[in-house]
Amino acid sequence: MEKQILIKNGIRNDGRGILDLRPIKITAGVLKKADGSAMIEWGKNKILAAVYGPREAFPKHAANPNRANVNCKYSMAPFSSLEEHGRSGPNRRAIEIGKVAKHVFENVILTNQFPKTQIDISIEILQSDGGTRIAGITAAAVALADAGIPMKDLVQGVSVGKVDGQLVVDVDKIEDNLGTSDIPVIVSLRTNEILLFQLDGMLEKKEIETAIDYSFEAAKAVRALQIEALKNKYVVEESG
Amino acid sequence: MIMNEVKEEFVKEMLKTGKRSDGRELLQYRKIKLEKGLLPNAEGSCLAQIGDSKVLAGVKFDIVEPYKDRPSEGVFQVNAEFLPLAHPEFFAGPPDERSIELARVVDRGIRSADCVNAKKLYLEEGKALGIYVDLYIMDHCGNLIDTAALAAMGALLNTKVPKYEEKALIRTEFTGKLPIVRSAVVSSFEKIDGKLVLDANDEEEVSSEGRLSLATCDGDLLCAAQKSGKASFSREEFSSLMDIALEKGKELRNLLNG
Amino acid sequence: MSEISVPGDLLFEDARRLDGAYVLGNQTIASVICVKSEDRVVPLKGKYLPIIDDYVVGIISEQRFSGYTIDLNSPYEGQLSTRESRESFKIGDVVSALIQEVDEVNEPMLIEPRKLSGGRLIEIDAVKVPRVIGRNSSMVSMIEKYAKTKLFVGKNGRIYIREGNVELAIAAILKIQKEAHTQGLTDRVEAFLEFEAGKA
Repeated sequence: MEKQILIKNGIRNDGRGILDLRPIKITAGVLKKADGSAMIEWGKNKILAAVYGPREAFPKHAANPNRANVNCKYSMAPFSSLEEHGRSGPNRRAIEIGKVAKHVFENVILTNQFPKTQIDISIEILQSDGGTRIAGITAAAVALADAGIPMKDLVQGVSVGKVDGQLVVDVDKIEDNLGTSDIPVIVSLRTNEILLFQLDGMLEKKEIETAIDYSFEAAKAVRALQIEALKNKYVVEESG
Repeated sequence: MIMNEVKEEFVKEMLKTGKRSDGRELLQYRKIKLEKGLLPNAEGSCLAQIGDSKVLAGVKFDIVEPYKDRPSEGVFQVNAEFLPLAHPEFFAGPPDERSIELARVVDRGIRSADCVNAKKLYLEEGKALGIYVDLYIMDHCGNLIDTAALAAMGALLNTKVPKYEEKALIRTEFTGKLPIVRSAVVSSFEKIDGKLVLDANDEEEVSSEGRLSLATCDGDLLCAAQKSGKASFSREEFSSLMDIALEKGKELRNLLNG
Repeated sequence: MSEISVPGDLLFEDARRLDGAYVLGNQTIASVICVKSEDRVVPLKGKYLPIIDDYVVGIISEQRFSGYTIDLNSPYEGQLSTRESRESFKIGDVVSALIQEVDEVNEPMLIEPRKLSGGRLIEIDAVKVPRVIGRNSSMVSMIEKYAKTKLFVGKNGRIYIREGNVELAIAAILKIQKEAHTQGLTDRVEAFLEFEAGKA
């Protein structure tokens, strides 16, 4: 197969510059039953996140007397990919993503305020096009805020990839498939810390540090959109 | 969900005076919204909302081997997933009897009415198109069956068939829309304290003793039925509900075609 | 001028112990979506956490030999001992009660239970209850006056409405829930009640 050129003169296959995010749209409070919810459209990704809790932990023996348990489920709809029909039920990749996503929220949620309860987070990928775990966690953070669950910060992040020998921000599916490295990162801008970090490929230390810088920078733009989504929910037409 | 017991009392009290807890007529649907083609990765899609209930249907094609007893036909399958995000009482895990019942009732309506001509899905020796309709239940505020049936039919109505070339599907190229012979929809009635209501909201559904779901299709025909729950229905009730389902079915199909 | 803050937003440049915020170093940071106006922080969403001396409206969910478990629309259920109850209750009964104490895992003990009947129970976000009550109970009195009803407002977000124009009272309460974070709410609610009560 001929090698596909993904970056030409600093322009990527979809017209973006190497530091550009795809278009992102977030809506908070899209579901009636869930305690908190958010829909995110990130590039061609369409992801729905929802939260129930804090609620009584069960089974009773799993309850922690010091804090709330956090559960996070990530799953891809059978119609989510451009390719064939997916099988139902979580696969190993989905379970791993659920776990690392859970760890993000175990850190930022002030779980000690709710002993013996659980908080259930659901991330459903309705349409996927690369970077779903980052977009999903970004939406879940909005859903948690929408639910009024106390957190240290509203978190977000980006996937940095290495494509045609260069680091690029926010890899889409084509870049992820054809690139040589993918680094999803979730950060807290308030505490300046990294809450999720994964990596594949082979990179030098300074490349990784650059990728981390890019992540914190991109996070600012994403956070502004999360805030806009939450504020929009409270805009009220004062028509009496 | 102890609040349900309190709501049940209120629902039944209102029904005694012939009124519903949300002000509707006994045989009136809540506001219905349909959004078709919202998922470009799927070959067909539709988000259906009845009141606050929301179901997303996605259609995907795969190349499959025909069933041995129907060697020159394609395959059609409906699955449903009750997502944990839809209701505080839904949890992740294998499908439970409710989601299986819903999928099978919606499937039966579409299949019996021959909405999709399975013979047209045949490709060549040992190969046919398989159509998978996946129902994603996103928000459970009562009457998921009717909502899911609309989503499934809406998705099929905007499904495009991918090109088949050299034994593979080229998913970015299409040979045209999936030919739909007729449309099927479902109308479900709940029996509460002996009274029958159409399109129960969540508190009515919780108060219900039993349900009759009736699928109808073009040509004034009934194409599937399911009686669910403990309550029994009389023959007069069946007769009257069939008339209502046929009438409401026409209204629902108009919305689908709109 | 009020503005909406989200988790992680800086609220004050000094350390304060406030509901809906936490202390980081010597700053006060928002932990939930809230409205900040001058010195006050009002959370806009969140489940009810039992507090001593709160009056609540609960539903009997379990009956045991020694007492009852009461659902409070909270992650925590209340316990009521039979010694504290002069009436006997059954599952599904709506009761008002007072939180006498809360243990270290947030579980409340209730006293002064009274069955509520003949009316309607609704649920709103617990964080909106102060707006439904109003300063010196001004808002709740206004609703009772125009709708000619009696309201029992539980701090846990459950409200029991009896007599009079129950539908109007509910409509007013839902309006407050939706617009709780805005200015001029009292006047708008009064105008709404006046108009709707006039129609009846």
